[in-house]
Amino acid sequence: MNTPKNYFQLIYRIIIGLIAIWFLSIIWPYISNVVLMLVFAFLFTTVLLSSVDALERKIGSRGLSVLAVVIILLGSIGTFIGSFISQMSQQAIEFSNRIDKDTLTQEFKTLGEKFTSSMPEFLQNMQPSDGNTAGKLSEIINSVVGSLASMAGAIGNFFFIAAMVFIFTIILLAEYHGFRKSLVNAIPNKYFEVGIKLIYNIEKSVSSYLRGQFLSAASVAAMSVTGLLLLNFFGANLTLTVFIGIIAGLANLIPLIGPFVGMVPAILIAFMNNIGNDVAMAHQLFGVVPSPFYLLDIVLMFLIVQQIEGNLITPALVGKSVGLHPMIVMIALLIGGTILGPLGMLFAVPATGVMKVVLQEISFVRKNAHLL
Amino acid sequence: MKSAKWENIFKGWNRTESETVLTLKQVPIFRDFSDKDFSEVEKLIHHRNYSTGDFIFKNRAPGEGMYIIMHGAVKITIGTRAKDENILAELGEGDFFGELALFDDEPRSANAIATKDSELLGLFEQDLFTLQERNPVLGLKILLNLGRVLGDRLRGTNNLLIQTQVEKSE
Repeated sequence: MNTPKNYFQLIYRIIIGLIAIWFLSIIWPYISNVVLMLVFAFLFTTVLLSSVDALERKIGSRGLSVLAVVIILLGSIGTFIGSFISQMSQQAIEFSNRIDKDTLTQEFKTLGEKFTSSMPEFLQNMQPSDGNTAGKLSEIINSVVGSLASMAGAIGNFFFIAAMVFIFTIILLAEYHGFRKSLVNAIPNKYFEVGIKLIYNIEKSVSSYLRGQFLSAASVAAMSVTGLLLLNFFGANLTLTVFIGIIAGLANLIPLIGPFVGMVPAILIAFMNNIGNDVAMAHQLFGVVPSPFYLLDIVLMFLIVQQIEGNLITPALVGKSVGLHPMIVMIALLIGGTILGPLGMLFAVPATGVMKVVLQEISFVRKNAHLL
Repeated sequence: MKSAKWENIFKGWNRTESETVLTLKQVPIFRDFSDKDFSEVEKLIHHRNYSTGDFIFKNRAPGEGMYIIMHGAVKITIGTRAKDENILAELGEGDFFGELALFDDEPRSANAIATKDSELLGLFEQDLFTLQERNPVLGLKILLNLGRVLGDRLRGTNNLLIQTQVEKSE
């Protein structure tokens, strides 16, 4: 008897859903930045909330607690970036003093010849005969430098977004419990207990994911620093090891591509420090595989670190923090990457975790609707 | 003359007890709590309003926490409202119910229905977990007091059982 009514309801819901999707697609370009800022602010709030709450219990003022935590955080970030930039510029000055353009081209040429000579004979024959590898490498470097200049505009935009995220985070930190209570108050009596459980589960899912990510980032950073120091012990002549480790740890937050991004600074530093050093140029991994400037050693070290982190540390520390199947994680990463690029990849897993919690609760409500 | 600016700056310094705290003070679960403890609990408590006849929860529904009656009245029943309703208890201001849900994931064992327009305070399992993490000493205090309350209720049930058996045997 109810069938026609149900059909009507279904059609009505589908139409409403389609209109909502259409409307969202229209306004998305205008609100996407704000949504992104709010998501970032929410994530930062989740990370900092427990510190602010703990401090508030000690000093009794929410405002002062937020201020203190924000100052400590900004101080740490500022110190890190400041000392990184100063050390990096020092490194760059040393590098430019040591190497002039001709020497660099010569080094590239020698490097190209070494690679070619270390290849099997049939591969050597496949190399272009003009022998202009050095020129090509120089061109690539020039184009990289050129594109760096066009990044200046993007950096301005980044600072604006960062400032807005910072302001949103402060507001959320100061008013988090008030916002949460308002949200809870808006839940109808019928769904009150289910709603409270849903909010709690979402918070738990996001915070356990973030905690897991930070633990794994910290472990990657620590292991990378240890690995780099070990390589130095064997003569790799790497500097800024702590910074490289921290960058590798942070890059590790982005699934799949992050670990490879983390290798780049180490490889660059190895190259900058060892250029002109014949011993480093002739270095062989395990005395067998040619590894000029310890490049293969560095890659191998990072691969080992990632294997330890992925197979031992993360499962032990974090467990199944979000409880998603690896296949779902991959699909989520691809979708996130397609929509928002690397940022989308960063948020793909926690967002899917939240969606999973919401769907579970919806299915629970549907099953137990007669009891609510 | 009072200055709003100075009152805002020093707000909370001379704060009088809120109605919520006064209600909480009547509940044995919060026995021996300091003012600071009450202000901590107050942050976790949810205020809900129910009209006469509204279900607060239904028998066999999943339970998430307990309620304290701030204003109004609630009856605890089994059976449906229409026919075979069996009233187990009628509760008034300062009474609490549903505390078993703080300890287990079992469904509710009875209905709770507002018999007057009521304002209830809700304390939920998740909030208790949060408190346990943030302030373990306070969390433990609540759990110990809850244990005492449950012990008293069990003792009461045992006495009723004994009384019934004695009456049967006579």
